[in-house]
Amino acid sequence: MATKVAIIASNGSLFDAYKVFNVATAAAASDAEVGIFFTFEGLNLIHKEGHKQLPIPEGREHFQEGFKKENIPSIPELLEMAKEMGVKIIACQMTMDVMSLDKDAFVDGIEVGGAATFIQYASDANITLTF
Amino acid sequence: MNADKVLDAKGLACPMPIVKTKKAINELNAGEVLEIHATDKGAKSDLTAWAKSGGHELLQDTEDDGILKFWIKKG
Repeated sequence: MATKVAIIASNGSLFDAYKVFNVATAAAASDAEVGIFFTFEGLNLIHKEGHKQLPIPEGREHFQEGFKKENIPSIPELLEMAKEMGVKIIACQMTMDVMSLDKDAFVDGIEVGGAATFIQYASDANITLTF
Repeated sequence: MNADKVLDAKGLACPMPIVKTKKAINELNAGEVLEIHATDKGAKSDLTAWAKSGGHELLQDTEDDGILKFWIKKG
């Protein structure tokens, strides 16, 4: 049976980005159809410049070393891989309007939609996750 | 064990071993065997689960001096 994964990304730190993109790429590599709805701070994760320099949560700066030591891929690499494997990226129109951001403020290959777009996508998903 | 292709995923962290394995197996035909070398300690459970969800068969896995080796037959 084909697996379909629907993810909501609503937070914008480096850790949030890893949670979202690790699960999304692992799912895509396991032949699942994957779609992510980026809303509020989650939009940082696909912002053209922002996704390259996501903040580490306060007091957790020492994790930086661990990421390097364990050879963890960078967020831009993971995002690129996710797109390459066909992960569907939906940016929240309403949040973009509130933040006065246009589609060209984001990485290429995204779709823009509202909550109803996500609901329609997720309506036949077997796995739904929120980060 | 004979393999049709060998993938070196040593030094890579989750989810890269899975992503690289997926790419490598795409280049094989059904019935051919991919041999994977990894050092990510999560790879043992991850590759086992990955093979299952993709309809592939994990033929054998070994661990020697921190190097995990897997032989997966493409389904």
